[in-house]
Amino acid sequence: MKKILSLGLVRGLLWQIAGTAAGALLVTGIRALMGLNPWGSFLFTEPAWVVGALTGVIAFVWGVGALTDWFKWALGEETPEHREDPPGWEKYFGVSLDHKVIGIQYTVTAILLLLVGGLFALIFRLELAASGMQFISLQLYNTLMSLHGMVMIVGILLGVAGVMNYLVPMLIGAHDMAFPRLNAFSYWIAPPAAIVLLSSLALGGFDTGWTGYPPLSTRSPVGIQMFFIGVWVAGWSSILGGLNLIATVMRLRAKGMTAFRMPILVWASVATSLISLTATQLIGLSFQLVMFQRLLGMGFFDPAKGGNPILFQHLFWFYSHPAVYVFILPGLGVVSELLPVFVRKPLFGYRWVAMSSLGIALVGFLVWAHHMFTSGMNEYLRVPFMYSTLLVAVPTGVKFFSWVATLWKGKIETPTPMLFVLGAIVVFLMGGLSGPPNGVVTTDLHLHDTYFVVGHFHDTMFGGYIFPFFAAIYYWFPKATGRRMSEKLGKLHFWLLFPSFLVMTFLMMRVGLLGMRRRIADYDPALGLDFWHLLITISAFLIAASVLVFLYNFFRSIKHGEPAPGNIWRSRSPEWQVPSPMPVHNYEEAFEVVGEPYDYGLPGSTYIRFNGKSH
Amino acid sequence: MAHTDKQTAFRLGVLIFVYLAILTALEFYVAVAVPSVVVLSLIALAKAGLVVYYYMHIYRLYQETETDPNSYEYKAGTLRLGLWLFLLSDAFVFGGLAVARFNLWGMTRPPFNQVLGLIITSVLLVSSFFMNRAETAMAHGDRRNFVISLVITLLLGIGFLVGVIGIEWPSAIREGITPSANTFGAVFFMMTGMHGFHVLTGVIFLLIVLRNGLRGLYSAERHRAVEAAAVYWHFVDVVWIFFYPALYLIGTVV
Ligand SMILES: [Cu+2]
Repeated sequence: MKKILSLGLVRGLLWQIAGTAAGALLVTGIRALMGLNPWGSFLFTEPAWVVGALTGVIAFVWGVGALTDWFKWALGEETPEHREDPPGWEKYFGVSLDHKVIGIQYTVTAILLLLVGGLFALIFRLELAASGMQFISLQLYNTLMSLHGMVMIVGILLGVAGVMNYLVPMLIGAHDMAFPRLNAFSYWIAPPAAIVLLSSLALGGFDTGWTGYPPLSTRSPVGIQMFFIGVWVAGWSSILGGLNLIATVMRLRAKGMTAFRMPILVWASVATSLISLTATQLIGLSFQLVMFQRLLGMGFFDPAKGGNPILFQHLFWFYSHPAVYVFILPGLGVVSELLPVFVRKPLFGYRWVAMSSLGIALVGFLVWAHHMFTSGMNEYLRVPFMYSTLLVAVPTGVKFFSWVATLWKGKIETPTPMLFVLGAIVVFLMGGLSGPPNGVVTTDLHLHDTYFVVGHFHDTMFGGYIFPFFAAIYYWFPKATGRRMSEKLGKLHFWLLFPSFLVMTFLMMRVGLLGMRRRIADYDPALGLDFWHLLITISAFLIAASVLVFLYNFFRSIKHGEPAPGNIWRSRSPEWQVPSPMPVHNYEEAFEVVGEPYDYGLPGSTYIRFNGKSH
Repeated sequence: MAHTDKQTAFRLGVLIFVYLAILTALEFYVAVAVPSVVVLSLIALAKAGLVVYYYMHIYRLYQETETDPNSYEYKAGTLRLGLWLFLLSDAFVFGGLAVARFNLWGMTRPPFNQVLGLIITSVLLVSSFFMNRAETAMAHGDRRNFVISLVITLLLGIGFLVGVIGIEWPSAIREGITPSANTFGAVFFMMTGMHGFHVLTGVIFLLIVLRNGLRGLYSAERHRAVEAAAVYWHFVDVVWIFFYPALYLIGTVV
């Protein structure tokens, strides 16, 4: 019992409960003194829940101990630069400053959230398997559907942070991130944010979808406020993580690692971080404005008061379109990173691939209104946004061209990570090809808000994120644990996931073209979609089964996997030149970059040289 | 930083402040006499540029010579970069609010007292002058002037908050521009509220720096917290340099 209480996570949770209660009771007391109604339909009133959720998050971060060092600094005290973690599993449940520990914390939290989001999908997918309402209420359907979207997004953001945190300092030869305490803080605000987000289920839910458009979101139950606050706090995790990563790459690179000798994954991480650093503020702002509209009657989006609901959509999509590049750029970076290893050939067009990540990120800032072709915004905006959207295909095409040319005439090996890389390329191609019909005004007017968009979107997310995420886990698992995951189970995972996923999204696009609207709980049997929906649901459950195989493999291999202390993939990358699991402070000896990173198969080429002196 | 002698550095601070004051007066004159959005925007950009270059020393980001990653200088440079990245991120919040203002108000503005706006703007501008003076003093090891200037900065910052929240907000409400009345109220209270929140955090930051300064924790060589507080404070001023014309000067009263 004492041991459990000493875990930071447990202390944080207790503090969060106390902090929420304290904040909510404070507002309730003030309301009582002001003569306002102190109690609401979910015990507390809406302002009390909002304040309580915020104080709860602050209390969690305080309770876990992520603010202690900063507090000491403000008091003028010094703190030791490095802090040794306790050995064993406890370090993963408390504040650690080691980027590898934080990276694993992020990754495991991400997997948990993705499982929760996936579970929600299974529930409402079961409901959709046949027309007519089977077993859940309309309000619960709406809440689960909306939460599925946002829980997955937060899960993906944390997964991206996990991959970047764990790998980038290693790839550039740094001991740690530039700001280790900020790194810990960025992670530790995510769990309370996820709790607040999920608590919307208990507070009446919400029915807006993940977009939270007003005016609907101004009329939803209190649950929508928990959704707003959860996303806002998780957004700060993403903002501060991006800040930290850019500073790390700009300041802590190994000697000789010029911009065009950085690994592609580092380029992709910087591009991703530029988006999360800046654009995230605008989804935060748009949600805050709705929050204040609900709390204080401020009429930002209320036409009766001169407000403009379209303004919300502009602010929201200014983040939420580039956000998909936050999800996929690191994934595509993983694809470019692993492909040459398993083809034993240089990466084709390194410079172009490096620049293409930045290109996608920058063009991504100019396309947001393609989500609003049917919104009633000014019509002259449609065509420019259509062209800017299609422009994204150029830097993305550069990546595809490089992958195909890298594979061309290579000696292709297909261990599990490579299978997922190839799967990512195929699935992302499907997502890419189904994109332009949504970006072109004429076809989008027909496709908008249909299941076609759902199919397209899941293709891009799985191709750009989920498949590369699995590839990265299979590939770097030995680096973190010193053991490798089972090849047999890995291949089973892939061959269960890949075909069922393709069937699922193809059929999603099909029912969309046949008139199935997205986000609705039921459909007319006369549409003749029952059979296809049943197939989609079956595929979804097969995907879930494949994930169970993965989880079993993952947890079993931590203890019982085949030992893999060395460079099992024959990689040129620096992290594989030292033993696994990675030593606590990464590299005992500093290394110097003396060549190109991806010159696989070129005789006599070297990428890095350990130069003996520790830095 | 100690390359120039103290008096020269002080004089540069005064000179920049004189430019800022002239530009602010010109801005007010333009707004009253020939309300031109283009001219007002250019003046605001010029003012922001002066503050960003001469008070926030943006050039320090790329004028670094230290290469040893374990040195105080290099770590201070990393922190400086981190702070600037944070400000870039924060600027998107204020940019979003400005977008909301122009989307919802267009070329109109609420009937606020422009002279009152000018007064609170001047308070913040003067505080930036003293903030710069405090940092310059510390960079030359002059603790006495550091403390005096920092206290003045703090008082002016608190004065700004009193001006906005204690005087401007009640007077807006008296004119019927409440948060829930119309978008004039909604946008005005959101913009000034968000900015005021940043001033408040700046005041807290300065109080911490003042306390640690009085305990002698900073020296001419080691005062990165002072520099960070100054850069943050000037940033909040730069935001107001744009918010002031957006709220008080641009557009016609309806
Ligand atoms: Cu988009």
